[in-house]
Amino acid sequence: MVSLNKRIFASVAAVAALSMGLAGCGSSGSDSNASSDPNEKVEITYMHRLPDNAGMTTVDSIVKQWNKEHPNIHVKATKFNGNASDMIKKLETDVKSGNAPDLAQVGYSELPEVYTKGMLEDVTQYAEQYKSDFASGPFNLMQVGGKYYGLPQDTGPLVYFYNKKAFDDLGISVPKTQSELLDAAKKAAAAGKYIMSFQADEAGNMLTGLAGASGEWYTIKDDAWVVNTMTKGSKSVAKVFQDLLDSKAVATNPRWDPSFDASLQKEQLIGTVGAAWEAPLLMQSIGESGKGNWAVAQLGDWFDNAGKTGPDGGSGVAVLKGCKHSKEAMEFLDWFNTQVDALISQGLVVAANSKDAKTPEEWKTYYDGQDIMQEFIKANENMGQFTYIPGFSAVATAMTDAASKASTGSQSMLSIFEAAQSTSIDTLKDYGLSIAE
Amino acid sequence: MSATTQTAVKRRGSSTKRSKAFRREERTGWAFMAPFCILFLVVFVIPIIWAIYQSFFQQVATGGGAYGGGSLENKFVGFANFQYVVTSSAFWQGIGRVLIYTVIQVPLMIIVALALAMLLDSLIVKHVSGFRLLYFLPYAIPGVVASIIWVFLYNDQISPIVKFLEMFGVHPDFFASNAVIASMANITTWTFTGYNMLIFLAALQAIPHELYEAARIDGANGWQIAWRIKLPNVRGAALLAMLLSIVGTIQLFNEPQVMQTADPSISDSFTPMMMALNTSRGSLTPKGDGPASAIAIVMALIAGLLAAAYAIVERKVNES
Amino acid sequence: MTSELASVDRRLIRAQQRKADKMREKAANDLPPSLQPKKPVKVLTIIVLVLAAIYFMFPIYWALIASTKSPSQLTDSNGVWFAVGLDKLPDAIAANYATLLGWTKGYFWRWVLNSLIYSGVSAIIGTVVAVMAGYATAKFQFRGKGVAIGIVMGSMLMPAALLTIPQYSIFNAIGMDNTMLSVIIPCCVSPFGFFLGSVYAQNSVPDELLEAARIDGAGEARIFFTIVLRILAPAMVTIFLFLFVATWNNFLLPLMMLSSTDLQPVTLGLYGMVSLATFTDRGALMMGALLGVLPVIVLFLFLQRYWKAGLAAGAVKG
Repeated sequence: MVSLNKRIFASVAAVAALSMGLAGCGSSGSDSNASSDPNEKVEITYMHRLPDNAGMTTVDSIVKQWNKEHPNIHVKATKFNGNASDMIKKLETDVKSGNAPDLAQVGYSELPEVYTKGMLEDVTQYAEQYKSDFASGPFNLMQVGGKYYGLPQDTGPLVYFYNKKAFDDLGISVPKTQSELLDAAKKAAAAGKYIMSFQADEAGNMLTGLAGASGEWYTIKDDAWVVNTMTKGSKSVAKVFQDLLDSKAVATNPRWDPSFDASLQKEQLIGTVGAAWEAPLLMQSIGESGKGNWAVAQLGDWFDNAGKTGPDGGSGVAVLKGCKHSKEAMEFLDWFNTQVDALISQGLVVAANSKDAKTPEEWKTYYDGQDIMQEFIKANENMGQFTYIPGFSAVATAMTDAASKASTGSQSMLSIFEAAQSTSIDTLKDYGLSIAE
Repeated sequence: MSATTQTAVKRRGSSTKRSKAFRREERTGWAFMAPFCILFLVVFVIPIIWAIYQSFFQQVATGGGAYGGGSLENKFVGFANFQYVVTSSAFWQGIGRVLIYTVIQVPLMIIVALALAMLLDSLIVKHVSGFRLLYFLPYAIPGVVASIIWVFLYNDQISPIVKFLEMFGVHPDFFASNAVIASMANITTWTFTGYNMLIFLAALQAIPHELYEAARIDGANGWQIAWRIKLPNVRGAALLAMLLSIVGTIQLFNEPQVMQTADPSISDSFTPMMMALNTSRGSLTPKGDGPASAIAIVMALIAGLLAAAYAIVERKVNES
Repeated sequence: MTSELASVDRRLIRAQQRKADKMREKAANDLPPSLQPKKPVKVLTIIVLVLAAIYFMFPIYWALIASTKSPSQLTDSNGVWFAVGLDKLPDAIAANYATLLGWTKGYFWRWVLNSLIYSGVSAIIGTVVAVMAGYATAKFQFRGKGVAIGIVMGSMLMPAALLTIPQYSIFNAIGMDNTMLSVIIPCCVSPFGFFLGSVYAQNSVPDELLEAARIDGAGEARIFFTIVLRILAPAMVTIFLFLFVATWNNFLLPLMMLSSTDLQPVTLGLYGMVSLATFTDRGALMMGALLGVLPVIVLFLFLQRYWKAGLAAGAVKG
């Protein structure tokens, strides 16, 4: 009971503090950045969803380092324990009531929507000076309509993971062209193995990335969206997977189902397209038995992508509306997002410009000595430009739905991209945004 | 209720003191109600009013253009959200799924729970409390974790259950489109049967033993005692459990949400509750709190209708 | 006078209870031969009960085994037995325990404690409040009673999960989000608890007893806290358990309300493990879930005594 009373007291105090805080808000005016006293202590709050697993350099310890070196800019990091959509939901409420954290992790595909929802603070004036610290592709994904709202953290270029030993046993190599891919897949299938997987649960992200490698879906003309998800790349992706599915030469286990792991362990699935950040996850999924057998390669010209690859996932850290110390927040952010080694330990392929990003020893031994980080950097530089629309999450959901029907053969692969087209139009309309006819 | 009224009237007997006593009773009644009512106001009433208010709005971007003006505004849309819900085929398919669930899973679970409670109460077994604990344990496992466990046990490559059945030449596919609802129902049954059984057992054990004695003297056997004395005495508890399970089923969420990872054909609008939450989270369009609230309200109305229908049927059966 | 009355009442209940226990025992032992269940019936009953126990326990057993496995062992080893030899088992357990503590950043036991506080406090407040309200509707006449009951029962139809967002807005607006109370307050209101309380009070609190106490000059509050609560003990155990488990398993509410790591309940931590799409360490998750369930089991075993003691005083009746 004593502690309960204390709590009640604390919350009454909190209410009082809040009303005082509100009063302070009203008087201080809108631009408090201009009047930053160099000796003033500022506090920056940062909400993230990084894994913080055992054996990783935790976010807290990175932040501690910063706090030690910068006594005037104190950063407090909190981890959100839910998924991305729950986090955005929470932040939306926080922004509305004016007590959101200053910085928050936002996926590239979510950034336009988060902007439309009015959750972001324009930090273009501070972003420019950090431009050279990051790869240009991810750096530009943190802008909406020419203005910048944060800095990129990690990227997810699509690459090809394959079991080299099993490939050698079958006498195949990583295919270079579409016809080579189909031939190799059928040859493997004849031996009861798959060199490609069709992951219905990841369709919204991965298929968009694969199709996006050859050209954009969304472009802006006169401040209105031109939506075309039926590009040459999309049709090519549909054709290849349809062919593979029809000839039973592709695994159809959902990516995050345990059966996916099982088929890797049984060496049924010996090759799959995946985002770079999947490297440590695949190590876990395959387990000890596959150690030293796996390797990473660039995607071939399989989907009329002319050697380009596309994005799958990856996120940046955005400055949220209401942040009172954008300058300091960006200063910290630039530092944090360039802590390459620590971020790699979290399983990220960093967006920071760092030629000498090292492959962790553990990864290197697992992938038979291959310097896979170099492969990822190469893929990153080779990534096609792709712009997402506000409300893309609904498009991804619709694609996943269609893909699960396509994987059982009750719909065509092409229907996935048709669903993307109609849902893209719907979601833009529901937001009251302009669409070019 | 009628007994209470009678005593109340009796107590109010003398007419001079009547209004004073009545006022006192009223004050006492509300005094006892007050703590609950205050909490209820904060936790239920205000949020529900908020949800109803929200359901007449949609969140649209200010300014239009490609990205909008960088903020959302609440646009009054009248009944457009409700129109969207009642004309949405995804919504009615979801309702259809939970109705199947209601018709099959709920009665099945209640019957199993009742049967287990009767067996435990039958004096045949000695270790009642041991069994009671074993049956109750699944209820203590959080719904999300229970679903994860079962997703493993359904998996055709990993599950020891599938391997066991395959020894007999049976190749079950728990995720086949015609089986997936049954697989889901099994998770719910597994989780909640024990809790229901517990309530029934408590009701059974509260039956005065004079009743059994009397019945035995009249020469009734075990079955007859079960049918004539025990069953009628747990009826109230059973009907209540049924009603609660129906309402709970309309809100089915955890099981399909987790099973979705193993079976992407379970869509984001598989059940109305999933549709509502995913609309609120933004993975379905139209999105936002307006349409999500409308879904929740239509759901609540349907649940209310079902509960009312159930109550009416129950009364009819009771009368005849 | 009231205390005297209460003790008489207590003695009465205890005597009643003893009688019931004795009768039950007698009934079990002294059944006339014709009424003793026949051997086949007995065997069949036990078979059915054991089969049911296997059904309920097998998944938990599987989870227990799984909690000692690494992600790859989970999918490639025999599901019903440990993946490593018994001699290596402690290492396997230690490995997953380390993973679990790593995931939860050493907060695991703190979170279990938080869960205990949330569930315990909200279940106690919720039970008392619900029983008070239930007692009021069962035993008193007052204006607006029908409407109040109607509104409370009607609110059961509203999906509670969707009220979480507006609840968060309210607590956020008054600056009370991210406090323990922001989880406890919403969790201690249960329309179901209110309903149970009302039914129980109606069935097992005799009007005569209340009348007698009033004639003795006992105040209403005193009557409630000394007599009624005691009679309603078994009912309260049922409501308490319901509220306790409901709070324990709730994750959406704390997910929205809390941002401080040291305030989180254990389910939220576990949910955090699951909700990252990239999560594969399910063995450690199972270990967390089972360790997290332990307090609930202990609580159940502990409450079981009270349940038994209170049975004679009457539970749910038709």
